[in-house]
Amino acid sequence: MKRGLLLIVFLCLPVLCQYAPTFCFANEAVGTETENKLLGDESDGSRAPSIHLIPLFFENEDGEKGGKISPDDDPLLPFSTRWTCGECHSYGIISKGWHFNAADPNVAPGRPGQPWILADGRTGTQIPLSYRSWPGTFKPEQVGLTAREFTRYFSRHTPGGAAGELETEDPDEIMREYISGKLEINCLSCHNAEFAHNQGEYFPQVVRENFRWAAAATCEFASVSGSARDMPETYDPFMPEPPEDAKKVPPGVKYDENIFDHENNVSFNIVREVPNHRCYFCHSNMYLDKEDAEKWTSDEDIHLTAGLKCVDCHRNGVDHNITRGYEGEASVSTNPLVTTSSCESCHLGVKDSSSPLAGRLGAPVPEHWGIPPVHFEKLTCTACHSGPWPSEKTILTKTSRAHRLGTLNANKSKEALPHIVAPVFAPESNGKIAPHKLLWPAYWATVEDQNVAPIAFATVTEAIVPVFSDVNRPTSGDWPELTTEHIAKGLKALAKSVKGTPAYISAGKLYKLNDSGTVSEEEHAAANPYLWPISHNVRPAAQSLGVRRCEDCHSTDAPFFFSKAAVDSPIVAARGVKPMVEFVKVRPFYTKAFAFSFVFRPWMKIIALGSSAILAGVLLLYALKMLACIAKVLTERD
Amino acid sequence: MFRTISIVAFAVTVGCLALNCITSPCKECWRHPLRKMVHLFTLLFIEQKLSLMGVLRKLVYLLALLCFVVLAVTGFYPTIILGEHISGYLMMVHATFSPIFAICLAVLAVMWASRCRFAYSDWPWFQRIVQRVTLVRSGEEESHCESSGLGQKMTFWLIIFLALPLILSIILSMFTLFGTYWQELLLDIHRYTALVFALVGIVHIYLVIRTQIQQYKAN
Repeated sequence: MKRGLLLIVFLCLPVLCQYAPTFCFANEAVGTETENKLLGDESDGSRAPSIHLIPLFFENEDGEKGGKISPDDDPLLPFSTRWTCGECHSYGIISKGWHFNAADPNVAPGRPGQPWILADGRTGTQIPLSYRSWPGTFKPEQVGLTAREFTRYFSRHTPGGAAGELETEDPDEIMREYISGKLEINCLSCHNAEFAHNQGEYFPQVVRENFRWAAAATCEFASVSGSARDMPETYDPFMPEPPEDAKKVPPGVKYDENIFDHENNVSFNIVREVPNHRCYFCHSNMYLDKEDAEKWTSDEDIHLTAGLKCVDCHRNGVDHNITRGYEGEASVSTNPLVTTSSCESCHLGVKDSSSPLAGRLGAPVPEHWGIPPVHFEKLTCTACHSGPWPSEKTILTKTSRAHRLGTLNANKSKEALPHIVAPVFAPESNGKIAPHKLLWPAYWATVEDQNVAPIAFATVTEAIVPVFSDVNRPTSGDWPELTTEHIAKGLKALAKSVKGTPAYISAGKLYKLNDSGTVSEEEHAAANPYLWPISHNVRPAAQSLGVRRCEDCHSTDAPFFFSKAAVDSPIVAARGVKPMVEFVKVRPFYTKAFAFSFVFRPWMKIIALGSSAILAGVLLLYALKMLACIAKVLTERD
Repeated sequence: MFRTISIVAFAVTVGCLALNCITSPCKECWRHPLRKMVHLFTLLFIEQKLSLMGVLRKLVYLLALLCFVVLAVTGFYPTIILGEHISGYLMMVHATFSPIFAICLAVLAVMWASRCRFAYSDWPWFQRIVQRVTLVRSGEEESHCESSGLGQKMTFWLIIFLALPLILSIILSMFTLFGTYWQELLLDIHRYTALVFALVGIVHIYLVIRTQIQQYKAN
């Protein structure tokens, strides 16, 4: 009997062990994944800010909630946003928000957005990457980047989460992950209103693989030193021992002791409404339209100038499912404000709405004097109102995420890679023409039956860098000046490292070696440029296209149709321009002829008005005669 | 909506004209049809007996006719057949022919107005129309009169009258005078006026052909 009981207990042991953490940490789990609302998940309606005098918690070695942090702890661990903020805000729900769900394949990608760009002048690479299924982008794993590597390269300009929290399956990375921790959602990236919050510090921490420490490093009361990346795989951050190499500094955090109160609580200056400058860290654009382009030489978005905040339009609830604000977003978003957060909904209202919505937030209702309604069917609002004013040629553009703006030692040169050009007018998926930023992909690939697959970046680096060692690389960070001979050398080098036919993609063309050993080139869909729409900066109405006259767009040299879009490539011979009409996808001759017809439009107006005057005169004259006749007839009958 | 209305309107007009052919047949028209066709074709040429003004008048009339056909086809083909707005080359052709048509209409208005003015002899016909419409009997017998000449006059004046909103609605929309609401309204005015204009034009051409054939018989 006793033996049987022991047997049952023995058999049940694995099951009990499996669920033990759940039972033990059931209370903490409430703060993460369950549907029970926590204190901060739902507001009571008060618009007054909530005071965040809260304890700091660290994450323990099992990835669970650790203890409350005290300045006397040894070792002193970084606070975990998952467990600190997660005490009152459901971390699991928040992590499904737009800024954190890129790596979730079940999330609808929505309108194509700015990709992450893997740019490397040494190998002639500039390739758009995204975990979202945006046509024209590649998944990081397609270029051989694990989630961890992707995080190290690009999470500098994210609020954490997403790829930074993916579980690694690579045995080599498991121990590294234990040391570095996961890159949790950094709530402070957006919500910390403290002036001394330093988001720029995120970059060095991410590069050093101090993922666990990154959030603390950005906040005003903690400083982080050392590098998890330098630590051996045997290093245990929870029981740290000095590394053998004295030059290597283990990751560690120090808190300003004065910020802890008598109960070891810390006061955060947390705001629900994210300040604009927090958004700007990742969403700044710099259009290099002038020789001396600087941020002070250009204006901000007109909405910000008018006093609005980014989050006045881009809103979200606790699920952080923020509105992106484009037309048609309602089909992929569950945010209840999505239909009322586009340009049209604030400025023109929503058709069939039970209450008037036009004029929200003081949005002026546009009259669009003299603009034929067909323009609203064929153009997005941004076509006329957003981005830089189009000029004879597209201009280079720098963005926070592509050019590491706002971080230490960011390359300030205009020519720094990646090369993004703007504005390029092209139709969106709904057929409406919108201004876009454009990137010409340049990468090494293999070709099999017209299927092009990029080669892993590490393989490319290994094979190409030695081959291009004699190529002069500009200090500006611009492309090296390559020739087809260089490409031939690169292709031959890669042929030894990869299966299939190696190829190089650039400037809309695919280059590969032919039988004679020389490079042949052909147009290929895989080389098509990647475009994503420009939404900001919005220009004031008085600076919108067409405000002066129709010829802003409908003249034979109007940039809207006839500017030259730069074709970018490290291969000097491939550089050039393409007429904008090719991107707008209109017939060039027709567009030119239609634009030319506007030369005669004043004459047409004069002729039509003159003819109308004559017709009106004749009508009036004979109407009077008719009246006289009728009067005469009636008089005679009487 | 406009597409449906246009299709119905054109169908009804053509139907009415066909009905008119049946109920009030022009017997002469069906006698020697080939000869009549040749006669109609010869109307496109300038007669030698015409004076300089007559030649000019006929040229303008023919040019207006050509413009009318081109404008009607380019304007209604995309709407009725393709179900979309006018655009592309059709738009350009439409915009090219429209000022010529406007000039022709103005010239025709000046040249033909006197000929098409209503005369005292038209009064009984007006009376008859009024009686038929209002069903009021004056006790007198309905006087017989030749109505096709009056029909041409009526359609002529309707064409001149409709030309005004037709031209102005589209020209004014090209100035920065009207916002989106009024732009859409002007476009609707242009569309619907063009529809009525086209129908009146068709009736006018029908009456002209009928009259010409009858005159051929008389000659």
